[in-house]
Amino acid sequence: MEPIVKVEYLWHIYPTGNVTAVRDVSLEINKGEILGVIGQNGSGKTTLVKHFIGLLKPTKGKVFVSGLDTSKHLIQQMAVKVGYVYQNPNHQLFARTVQDELRFGPKNIGLTEEEIEERVAQAIEFFDLKNILDIHPYRISFPLRKLVGMASVYTMQPDVFILDEPTTGQDNVTTQTVYHLIRKLRDEGATVLCVAHDMILLAETVDRMLVMRNSELIMDATPREVFSDYEIMSSTHLTPPQITTLSLKLKEKHQKLDQTVLTIDEMVDKVKNLSNK
Amino acid sequence: MEEAKPIIEFNDLSFSYKSADNHYALKNINLKIYEGDYVALLGLNGAGKTTLQLCLNGVIPNSILGDFSGEVIVDGHDTFETPVRELAKIVGMVFDNPEFQLSQMSVGEEIALGLESLGYSYQEMVDTITEVLGIVGLSGLEERSPFGLSGGQQQRLSIASALAMRPKILVMDEPTSNVDPIGKEEIFQVAYDLNRKRNMTVIMAEHEVEVMAQFANLVVVMHDGEIVLQGTPEEVFSDVELLESLGLRMPQVAALGHSLEKQNLMNLGGKYPVKLDQAIETYGRLFE
Amino acid sequence: MQGVVIPISMIPGNSIIHRMNPLPKLMWTVGVLAVSFATRNPAVLGAVFALGLLLVLIAQVGSAYLKVVMVLLPVSLALITLQSIAPAFPRPWTPIIGWGPFTVYQEGIYSGISMALRIFSLTTWAMVFIMTSHPSDIFTSLKRVGMPYTLNFILIMTLQLIPILQNEFAVVLNAQKSRAMKGTGFGALLPSMVPVFVGAIERIQQLSISLESRAFGSSGHKTSYRRVRITVWDIINLLLALVVSGLVTYWLIVDKSLDWSRTMVFNPVFSAILVGISFAGFMTYMVLAIYLVAKS
Repeated sequence: MEPIVKVEYLWHIYPTGNVTAVRDVSLEINKGEILGVIGQNGSGKTTLVKHFIGLLKPTKGKVFVSGLDTSKHLIQQMAVKVGYVYQNPNHQLFARTVQDELRFGPKNIGLTEEEIEERVAQAIEFFDLKNILDIHPYRISFPLRKLVGMASVYTMQPDVFILDEPTTGQDNVTTQTVYHLIRKLRDEGATVLCVAHDMILLAETVDRMLVMRNSELIMDATPREVFSDYEIMSSTHLTPPQITTLSLKLKEKHQKLDQTVLTIDEMVDKVKNLSNK
Repeated sequence: MEEAKPIIEFNDLSFSYKSADNHYALKNINLKIYEGDYVALLGLNGAGKTTLQLCLNGVIPNSILGDFSGEVIVDGHDTFETPVRELAKIVGMVFDNPEFQLSQMSVGEEIALGLESLGYSYQEMVDTITEVLGIVGLSGLEERSPFGLSGGQQQRLSIASALAMRPKILVMDEPTSNVDPIGKEEIFQVAYDLNRKRNMTVIMAEHEVEVMAQFANLVVVMHDGEIVLQGTPEEVFSDVELLESLGLRMPQVAALGHSLEKQNLMNLGGKYPVKLDQAIETYGRLFE
Repeated sequence: MQGVVIPISMIPGNSIIHRMNPLPKLMWTVGVLAVSFATRNPAVLGAVFALGLLLVLIAQVGSAYLKVVMVLLPVSLALITLQSIAPAFPRPWTPIIGWGPFTVYQEGIYSGISMALRIFSLTTWAMVFIMTSHPSDIFTSLKRVGMPYTLNFILIMTLQLIPILQNEFAVVLNAQKSRAMKGTGFGALLPSMVPVFVGAIERIQQLSISLESRAFGSSGHKTSYRRVRITVWDIINLLLALVVSGLVTYWLIVDKSLDWSRTMVFNPVFSAILVGISFAGFMTYMVLAIYLVAKS
């Protein structure tokens, strides 16, 4: 099967100041994968994912999403295939009610009234929004607004979801909700990219991590492999989840811990297995 | 860190915003903070952390109106009776959006903003600005535009602006939530240095519980306008059942201890490690 | 709105005009304002404009100035076109040449030309002032002569907000395109503007709390961190500006012989060509502008 995202020798150079933000990146993403894209601000991670919805066009190289060449299509055309959820939901919310907000996307792509209603109903169900349908988007709490932002992109039924810092600055309850939503999206067969600094979230949800540093893709591997790589972690100034760091330190001293641990549950299982022996 | 008299006292403080129809943002808050404390303020969005912090420099109740009862005593001053202008010299505040706190054309002018209002002489201003920029690690950047700085630098600039007023207390409301990891480290480092090296009382609302466990000596947990738990990080983060029921996180190493105990894999007597080095020692025994 | 960045800000440089204190420069600009509104005489206005151009050259801000001119031109062309057929002038009007329902009048051409020259001269002098003075210096100098502290602050903040909000607008536009919104037309108005407004309001709310927490605006003696040099020459310059503009304005009001509105006669061919070119030029601008907006 064709990969759902194909990036071929992508370069992006910003015209103002001649800044190279993405340098010679190539990668493929298959349908149904859940990826984390990590790196410091300025590493090129946001520049990279903006190409997937055509917000940016390649300076050199090509990007294909769901078979479409991004350089030959408008953002609006890519929006049917790629849902980009902005970090600040306020950038997208403007309507009088949450319901109107949900209708905005499907209306723009010219669906029939029936189709629009169906999609909106699906979104309400998925995100559990039935209690706030008639409320003005700016009257609901910020975390709920983030959900509405996601939902209004969901109604476009894209193949690929890009979540820009979905949990940054959020409290635990919201973070858990996002985590469950990502899981649900995967169950529906969507492909999800999470650009995030939240290592705990990533450790629990993604199968694959893309690590950006200084405009280059320096590692493309599983979270376990990425977090175990001291050089990569320290050079990008990123820290693994505390439980992972714990396992790395314990591994150094104790042979009985044979693997880098990603979650608390994993660690408990390791201990359980040891005690069963 | 315990002095005879607390530097901050909340006595039966309750507050509801004017527009809020009897919904109380703060309910019967009683809390004592001593000089040199590093206080971590935890709680979900809407728990009342910001409201509580705004009561410290008098913005509540002097500028933000509402139903205010009880008292807040800061360094001997009753915030209800003292103008914000006076309290600003005791309590410095930094908020969560780095850019929204800035307005001037240069870093120097940004810091000078408060000093101009207090009538400092030109030389006093220059000296103060040089000093605070040094403390936060932004020396030499007087002429730069604040809007061109990184998020971490902008927050450090806001800290410097607050420090210029020579406060004894620094209050920070989720200062790292809109900042990248490098910036987060910078901010936590500055707060730590101010607390340990200059005995500054620090009150920080944050979600980064692992970091809070590392630096704070007092953790205050709020929920729905009330303080539901307070104590040392070891005390608070070991009450896993309560924290989980409130939807709050604890350092992963503490959550691990709780899980292990619950599944009878380890006996920790209900007291879990909250810092990494404690955890390495405690859990290392499992793998020997 | 996003693509064209109009450089209404300081252009760094070391010309003699750059080195002047902002106050005399401001005074000259105000003087030119008075002068240009005191008369409609095209020769006088033309001279003021020419002087302004000279200053642009001395200050070496030519290229930025030209960008501003690009915006002024369509406005002026529209003015000339409209004025010539419907003068903002007391009747009677003297017709020169007609074309269908439209008649071009002497007074109209006079009016159109002088209005255009007025706009150009005023803007040119204002641009010289703005492009050679650091905003902070302007505000500090104003504070010194007694402008209210809070007003001063509002002006500084507004200046800072313009590029910030422009940026925000661009981000919001892209965010809405990511929901398949078409870039133009009425349907694009609300979705692109509401978020920017909300953002601006949130920012200002937060800023005001932040400022209060720093004792901003509290009453009492205020000092200033930024210092601007003011020399004897600057003071002389300032007084010169005051006196010269005052005298010229007085002269313009009093000397009736400068009112050429009834005496200036325009050749019909000249008038037709002038109006024709203005109209065509203006239309070209409009078409280009609409095309560029539609393309985005």
